[in-house]
Amino acid sequence: MDWNAVLSFARGPFFRVSLFIFIIGMSYRLARIVFLGWSKDHAKADGSKLGGVIKSYLKGFLILPFYPWVKNTFNRNPLIYIAGGLFHLSLFVVIFLGTAHMLVWKSLLGFGWPTIKTPIIDLLAAIGIIALLMLLINRLINPVVKMISGPSEYINWLLVFLPFLTGYIMYHHLGSPYEKLYSLHMITVNVLLIWIPLSRISHFMFYFFSRTIHGVEFGKRAVSP
Amino acid sequence: MAEKTIYEHLSDKGVSRRDFLKICGMLVGAMGLSNMPPLEASGLPRGLNKVETKTIDHVRQALESKPRVPVIWLEFQDCAGCTEALSRSTSPTLVDLVLNDLTIEYQETLMAAAGFQAEGAKQQAIEKYYGKYILVVEGSLPTMGEGGFCTIGGRSSLDILKEDAAGAAAIIATGNCASYGGLPKANPNPTGAKGVWEIITDKPVVNIPGCPAIPEVTTGVILHFLVFGTLPELDSLNRPKTFYGHTVHDRCLRRGFYEAGKFAKSFDDEGAKQGWCLYKLGCKGPTTYNSCATIRWDAGLSFPIQSGHPCLGCSQPDFWDGGGFYQGQSAPLNKPTATAAGAAVAAGVALGAGMAVANRSQKKKEIVDSQPSDEEEKKE
Repeated sequence: MDWNAVLSFARGPFFRVSLFIFIIGMSYRLARIVFLGWSKDHAKADGSKLGGVIKSYLKGFLILPFYPWVKNTFNRNPLIYIAGGLFHLSLFVVIFLGTAHMLVWKSLLGFGWPTIKTPIIDLLAAIGIIALLMLLINRLINPVVKMISGPSEYINWLLVFLPFLTGYIMYHHLGSPYEKLYSLHMITVNVLLIWIPLSRISHFMFYFFSRTIHGVEFGKRAVSP
Repeated sequence: MAEKTIYEHLSDKGVSRRDFLKICGMLVGAMGLSNMPPLEASGLPRGLNKVETKTIDHVRQALESKPRVPVIWLEFQDCAGCTEALSRSTSPTLVDLVLNDLTIEYQETLMAAAGFQAEGAKQQAIEKYYGKYILVVEGSLPTMGEGGFCTIGGRSSLDILKEDAAGAAAIIATGNCASYGGLPKANPNPTGAKGVWEIITDKPVVNIPGCPAIPEVTTGVILHFLVFGTLPELDSLNRPKTFYGHTVHDRCLRRGFYEAGKFAKSFDDEGAKQGWCLYKLGCKGPTTYNSCATIRWDAGLSFPIQSGHPCLGCSQPDFWDGGGFYQGQSAPLNKPTATAAGAAVAAGVALGAGMAVANRSQKKKEIVDSQPSDEEEKKE
């Protein structure tokens, strides 16, 4: 098999199509959410909605990651809580602050930014992979999580795990020629891009909606109906 | 009278026995031997499948017992850069040996003869050495316009290649153009350029890609055939494994900086001065198979990365269309334009909005339908 040709396809037309599907899909879902609109507030409540939103974000970004023990979910299963947090940290640092990935953004956006030293990225990627494995094991053995996991949850896991794994193997040139590993990495990334709008991985965008709406609700000072 | 052996030919030229043995030693290195090739074709004693000091002896025996192998060198859609690299290579005696003393029968750039004389000399050589000569091809072949994009002496390059290949013992495509189409094949490929191995399919074609091909690799392959009578072991892209077995990245002297994550960000920053990795400046080393980093250029003096320039990937198929030379290798090959991306967003939003409106009107209708109308109320 000519992996160079596969690589050209995966980096070229396939990536392009995947990216368009991703953009169209996410725009569509965003429009659907926005056009749902706010429900009419028939009884104006006391309290500041904006204040609630600010508090909600502060809580989400500052308090919970650094003082997680105030949260019930943490106390119930700290290991899994930390694994989830580390996975997200790893994902964002690797995608945005890894040199190779920054160059992708640079080519797409037209500007770049400083990156973190590769060995640190490498370590974080390894942490991300281990965290993902822990989360899978938890999903398989924890009866509650197992019960609410359907096929799409496992597909989500797999499609996020594969780019991580292929990227890690590729960076270390393990086993196969670079262009083969690079092709596999790009193919898994492309499939993930197509899958995101169809799945709950789209929470990378809708997370901010839910946090805002929660903030508004929590900012209200009134008796709920 | 039997044909002169290579050794006899050399000693006629004034090469001493001592120098001859030195050359033999050099050849072993030039061929990059780590395993002995199948020995049947070479006429050497069997069972010698290790490379050791004795290997020089085998080479000596071959040179003492075998006649010279003629080379016919064709140039088509090329820049003569591979010839230039070969003829200007300062690698002493080795390239001289191949160029002057041993083999070349026909080479348009280098030969003194021109016109009908030159073509006549080629025909003579082909007839004399039919089935024995090595055909080296430089430059790609146009397949469109009935081959009219490249003609020599009024004949299309396709015809010339097919005719000359018929009597060749081995075919070597030197440079990226002859191997994979090279620059002439770059998008949109106006001449329908192709590499030799896409046209000659009934004989093995050794590809020695590179822009230009490394002279020592070209001579190494010719010498391999000359000494052992066989072609070196080839990979899936018909490149000799000895010289194309590793990526430039694998053997790069800046590899340590890659591992440590130290990258030059521009051509004149501190990193560049310190000799850090050129990955961010678009180096294609990780996907490029060649021996630049080991054999190097100008008699082992340097190679592009050592001199501070990222690898362009010139020995890979379609390297001209492989993204910008100075764009990081991880970047996608063809990025969508802002307009296209904007259109995609607009399409998504329009779809979503349309669906939302449709849903809303559907909901309203359902509400209206579920409520009893005025007339129904009156009846009751």
